[in-house]
Amino acid sequence: MAMTVDLPALEQTAAPRAAAAGWSRYARPVLGLVLPVALALGWELIVALGYSNGRLVPPPSKVFETIVALARSGELWRHILATLWRVGAGFALGVVAGTVMGAVSGYWGLARRLLDPTVQALRAIPSIAWVPLFILWLGIFETSKVALIAVGVFFPIYLGVMGAILSVDRKVVEVGRVFRLSGFAMIRRILLPAVLPAYVVSLRVGLGLGWMFVVAAEFMGASEGLGYLLIDGQQLGKPAQILAAIVIFAILGKLTDWLIEVATAPLLRWQDAFGARGGQ
Amino acid sequence: MLALKDVGKTYPNGVHALERFSAEISPGEIVAIIGGSGCGKSTLLRAIAGLDRASTGSVTLDNAVITSPHAEIGIIFQEPRLLPWLSVADNIGFGLADLPADVRRERVAAALARVGLADKAVAWPRELSGGQAQRVAIARALVPQPEVLLLDEPFSALDAFTRRDLQDHLLDLWADTRPTLILVTHDVDEAVVLADRVLVMRPRPGRLFERITINLARPRDRKSELFDTFKRRVLTALDRSLDRSVRDVTDKSSAGEAMWW
Repeated sequence: MAMTVDLPALEQTAAPRAAAAGWSRYARPVLGLVLPVALALGWELIVALGYSNGRLVPPPSKVFETIVALARSGELWRHILATLWRVGAGFALGVVAGTVMGAVSGYWGLARRLLDPTVQALRAIPSIAWVPLFILWLGIFETSKVALIAVGVFFPIYLGVMGAILSVDRKVVEVGRVFRLSGFAMIRRILLPAVLPAYVVSLRVGLGLGWMFVVAAEFMGASEGLGYLLIDGQQLGKPAQILAAIVIFAILGKLTDWLIEVATAPLLRWQDAFGARGGQ
Repeated sequence: MLALKDVGKTYPNGVHALERFSAEISPGEIVAIIGGSGCGKSTLLRAIAGLDRASTGSVTLDNAVITSPHAEIGIIFQEPRLLPWLSVADNIGFGLADLPADVRRERVAAALARVGLADKAVAWPRELSGGQAQRVAIARALVPQPEVLLLDEPFSALDAFTRRDLQDHLLDLWADTRPTLILVTHDVDEAVVLADRVLVMRPRPGRLFERITINLARPRDRKSELFDTFKRRVLTALDRSLDRSVRDVTDKSSAGEAMWW
C-alpha cells in the first residue's frame, strides 16, 4: 500500500484547540459542582430505591420542597429579611468601628501602643462568651444580636486595616513625601489605595464572621430569622427545615461575598497578583 | 546654585555614614557621585532631597535651606517606584495635582511622547518592562520641571543595552530644560558619559576623596581614546580611595588633579 500523507489533519488541530479553550472556560466552574451534585444525586437515589428512609437525612428533593413551601407561605422572606437585617446592621457597625480604630492604630504609633494591647486581649475572648452579658445589658431583642455580630465583624476588620497600613511600602510613602504630600493628601493619594486590597480581604473575612455570628445570635432566643428556623427544626424534629435553612445560609453568604467582590473589583484592576490573572 | 556645606550624617544607631561633605554645584551642571558601597553617597543624596536631615552642615538651594522635600528638587530612585494603582499617565502627572486638569493632561501627554511611551498612557505600571518603567519615573520627576534632579543609581537594575539607551535618553531630556543633575552611581562608564564633574567618595566614614572634571564635548563617544583616559582616571581615583595610606586629595582641587594627570 502506498504511503499517504494526511495534510488536512494537520490543519485541523488549531480549531479543536480553540474550541477546547472555549469549553474549559465554562467547564472550570462546572468542575467544582461535580462532587456536590454527585453526592446529592447519590443520596436521592439511595432514598428513592428504599435503602434508607431519609427521615434524619432528607434527600435533596425533600429539602427543595421545604424551601418552596416556606417561600409560598411567605415565611421564608420574613426569616431571610430578619437575618439579613441583623447581618447588615452588625456588619455596618463592625466595619465602621473596625475601620476607624484600625486606621487610627495603624497610622498613629501612640494610639497603637495605647489601644492595641487592649483590643488584642479582647480578641482572645471567644465572642460567644459575651452573649450572656449582652443579653443582660442590651436585652433579648435585636440590640444584643446586632451587637454580637458587630463584635464578630470588628476584629478581622480592625486587624486587617491596621496591618495593611503598617505594611504599606516605605518606598511608596517616600514617593508621596518627594511630592510633598502630607496629612490628608498622603492618606488619600498613597495610603488609601495601597491598603485597599487588604481592606477588601478583611471585609470579606468580616462578612463571613458576620454570617457565623448571626446564627449564634439567633440561637439566643429569636422568633424569626434563619437561625430560628434551625432551632425550630431541631425542636420539632424537622431535619428538612434545618437543611433548607443551611442551604439558604450558604446561598446568602456566597451572594453577599460575591457582591463585595464585584463592587470592589473595578478598584483593584491594577493588582499584579497571581489570583488577578486567573491563577493556574 | 546648590551649595553643600560640611554635610555630615550619623544615624541613630551610631553609624557615621557621611563626614563634612562640601561642594558647590552650578545650575545646569551634571555631577556624578561615585564610590564603593558604604561611602555615604546615597545618604548624601537623601540629605539633598530633604528626605533625611543631615546631622551637621547644611544644604541650600538658591539660599533656601533644604530640610524637607522641596518643589524644585526632584528625585529618581534605583527602582521606578511607580504607584501600581495609577495608570502610566496618572503616574507621570502625580506631581502636578495643583494644576488645572487640562494643563496637566497636556503636559503629561507631552512628557509621554517625549519619553516614547505615548502608546502606554492607559497601561498599568505592571505592564511595563523595567526600562519603560524607569522612563516613566524619569518623566514623572521631570514633568514638574525641577531646578535640581537627583538620581540614585537609576539604571543599575537594568541590562547593559537598556542602561546605555536610557543614559543617552536622559541627556536628551536634560537638554530640554537643563536642570542640575546629581547622579549617584557605581558605574564608571555611566559617570564619565554623563557628568561634567565626577566626585569620588571614600568609605568609613563616607567623605569626598577627589574631584575630577570631565571636559569632554557631548555627545561623548564611549569608544574614543579620550573617553577611556577619563575612565582610567576615575578608576585610578577609586582604587586610591580605598588605599588607607592615601590622604584625601580634594583640598588640592584642580591643582592636585593636574599634578598626576
